[in-house]
Amino acid sequence: MSIQLNDIIESLLFVSVEPLSAEKVKNVLTEYPEDEIEKALEQILEKYAANPGGFQIIRTGGGYLFSTKPEHDPWIRRLLRVNRKNKLSPAALETLSTIAYHQPITLAEICAFRGVDATHSLKTLLQKKLVKIVGRKKSPGKPLIYRTSERFLTYFGLDSLKDLPSEEEISKLLEEETDED
Amino acid sequence: MDRTLEYQVNLDVFQGPLDLLLFLIRKKKIDIHDIPIATITREYLAYLDKKDRINLEREAEFLLVAALLIYIKSQMLLPRERPLEEEQDPRQILVDRLLEYQKIQAACAILRQKEADELPKWKRDAPPPHFMSEEMELTEVSLFNLAEAFFLLMKKKEKKDIQIIRGKEYSIEKKMNEIIKFLKENHFLDFTEYFESQSTIAEALVSFFCLLELIKARIVYAVQETLFQSIKVWLRKESLK
Repeated sequence: MSIQLNDIIESLLFVSVEPLSAEKVKNVLTEYPEDEIEKALEQILEKYAANPGGFQIIRTGGGYLFSTKPEHDPWIRRLLRVNRKNKLSPAALETLSTIAYHQPITLAEICAFRGVDATHSLKTLLQKKLVKIVGRKKSPGKPLIYRTSERFLTYFGLDSLKDLPSEEEISKLLEEETDED
Repeated sequence: MDRTLEYQVNLDVFQGPLDLLLFLIRKKKIDIHDIPIATITREYLAYLDKKDRINLEREAEFLLVAALLIYIKSQMLLPRERPLEEEQDPRQILVDRLLEYQKIQAACAILRQKEADELPKWKRDAPPPHFMSEEMELTEVSLFNLAEAFFLLMKKKEKKDIQIIRGKEYSIEKKMNEIIKFLKENHFLDFTEYFESQSTIAEALVSFFCLLELIKARIVYAVQETLFQSIKVWLRKESLK
């Protein structure tokens, strides 16, 4: 039996650490016509959507990735010996969303938004590779400019920055809170 | 009385002055657009009085906001020839900041939920499964970390004032193979220990170049468990073949 395009793409997905976009697949599989690749990708997605097995394909960061299913989390933790969830601290999360909504942004600007010093949480975020330095601002002191990274998208399961909670979602949440009061 | 008690309980959750202000505003069920400065300033000062210990940096930030409140108040009190137009309302600065802050807080709540949804979906970016204990958090070190560690070591070596006159040639190629062999046998190499064991600066220099070369060629990688700990060099698994 000849090699199936679907299977090739599946194997590419299997080894991908970063989200695999349709573009990337097309760049690799130059010998296949683009519409066939797209069709194959769709078939794979359908297949896994219906798959009751141990993992799934998720859309994130502008591409696709294999991931385990959330319900298997406890056993994976046991295998990898990860006891606590590595959640971001409240300060780090606040800094991160400030960056996400106002990028590109400098440290001084982040601090101004948050009203507190953000040096430490910024360092944490850089270490976790959720934000990256993209250059220096052409202003006095030439401060570094920060942006969220590709990893940021995957971390929150966002497809692109457009998927960040929108004004409407936010105001809805704020209204709910007021109602509760 | 109850209220002051509650303030104390809630202290730890405050991230900054804006947080506190928002809290005060909510507590009083005040519309954010209509901040009664006097009431809040009073509560603010009462809160400061209640604190028996002071975190100077944080308190300074609180004071900044308190000062802002008072400034706004004074602006409101000044008699004007013409009434202020809406956007000139001095409270506007504060309202804008608070609204922005509230927005970020709400976004945080949504992102927190997304984080909780995503965390149990394990992907292939798991850290290298080298018998890690759970607290370990490996960070791949940058060239600067490596160089810094190296120069520190070299300084130490200089002080020892070693007097070796023999001229020995070190070849990068040989040294590289040596490092790889070492890694295969010992699994990893402790940066500090390894360079301590080098007999001359020349040899250490050559080894350092080799290491950089190996990292560049993605045959090995350097990680640090936590800040200020020694750097460890691992063989990349895919390069073992």
